Amino acid sequence: MNRTNIEEFEAAALPHLPDLFRTASRLTGDRGRAEDVVQEVYLQAWKSFHRFTLGTNCRAWLFKILMNTLHHDRRKWFSLRSTQLAENDFEQTLMYAPPVPEKLTDQEVLSALDRVPTEFRAVVLLADVEEFSYKEVAHLLEIPIGTVMSRLSRGRKLLRELLAGVARSYGIGGAPQEGKGA
Amino acid sequence: MKIVDFGQRNCEKVRRYLDSYISNELLVESNLEVLRHIEQCSACSQELETRVRIRTSVQVAARREEVPPGLEQKIRREIRERSPVRLWPSDFSLRWMSAVAALLLISTAIWIGLRSRRELSSKEQDAYIGRISSGLSNILQVGLRDHVHCAVFRKYPKDPPAFAEMAHALGPQYAGLVPLVKTKVPDEYRVILAHRCHVQGRSYVHLVLRSPSSLLSLIITKKNPGESIPAAQLTPVLEAAGVPVYRAAASQFQVAAFETPAYLAFVISDLPEERNLQLAAAIAPSVQGFLNQM
Repeated sequence: MNRTNIEEFEAAALPHLPDLFRTASRLTGDRGRAEDVVQEVYLQAWKSFHRFTLGTNCRAWLFKILMNTLHHDRRKWFSLRSTQLAENDFEQTLMYAPPVPEKLTDQEVLSALDRVPTEFRAVVLLADVEEFSYKEVAHLLEIPIGTVMSRLSRGRKLLRELLAGVARSYGIGGAPQEGKGA
Repeated sequence: MKIVDFGQRNCEKVRRYLDSYISNELLVESNLEVLRHIEQCSACSQELETRVRIRTSVQVAARREEVPPGLEQKIRREIRERSPVRLWPSDFSLRWMSAVAALLLISTAIWIGLRSRRELSSKEQDAYIGRISSGLSNILQVGLRDHVHCAVFRKYPKDPPAFAEMAHALGPQYAGLVPLVKTKVPDEYRVILAHRCHVQGRSYVHLVLRSPSSLLSLIITKKNPGESIPAAQLTPVLEAAGVPVYRAAASQFQVAAFETPAYLAFVISDLPEERNLQLAAAIAPSVQGFLNQM
């Protein structure tokens, strides 16, 4: 099979552009930078398309290239694989499950998500938004499955704490203010 | 938070499982254990509901982010511009390797040429055209030659020239072809070049159209005495509003052709066969009418 065919590549790879772009955008925090990264991902993917086995998981393959591109980004936006934060930094504060507003706007949710440290945010995005399995996330980020689980758990807890901050701004446990509902 | 129903120890155990339960990563037995507990423990049930709600909110909010307009086209363009494989036959495969080996030198020249198209000499282009069009009738080579010389081996400016510039390059006689053709092709096709050109002593009127995934030429040339497509013993594959359309393939290029008493016209692209024919059929009647009125 001729795998150097542009149309074949585009048919397999381009449907995943929205998924790759939103992940890059949330991880870099910069839509312009995400555009550059995603273009780079597609060029790299095209160059190595001859090594891709058609019929296998093209989406996971593209995400792997995305994560490598982000990880090796010369600008050192962040590190996805090693965290400077102690693994249980949040443990103490998050034992208490705080109330979260029933209705949240997309902006409130995304603002909170963007404040979650990148290594935890990456796992939340890959597992919860892109719905990769733990095993796939471990492969994408080159971390053990146990680390995926702990980062996902802590990422979700931290997100919850940040969203509870929104609740506190409404008055703890209170109804959302007028105009703040989704 | 009240944790009372089955004792705090049981609730704590279930809550440790909740993240994996939500991610559908638990073994069947553990899954059942969580389910049984949730059914009977309102506090843990509420806790699960909150966690699922947050996860859903993140999914919905993140998935609403839209791809910037034009990014997909930019990617398609970059892939083409940086691709060294554009001119390989579409049915290239391992079993052709031995044949290709014999052409290694010329292919290398083409590959290098595509990376810096200006460096590919006219002679090298002719060699390439000769190689790919050997099975094509002479009359269809007339169109293919111009497409490869003029449309494929060319660097295009980022923004296509304005219509006035194209009209000037075509001359008043043929300027009307640009808006005429534009109305006959899908919106995704943009006219990126329109001019008159000369290849091997023959004059052409040439429109180049680009879609996000293909490059297409409409090529028109005056017939030489005695020249006609039926005289070349070709058979039309379809009639578009009474206009016979002929087709052939050379490497990855699809050539469709039609004629008027005075002109030969070609629609050539790297599209699939059916798609190239469809576009030729859409264009042919109007272009034939245009040329007949000249």
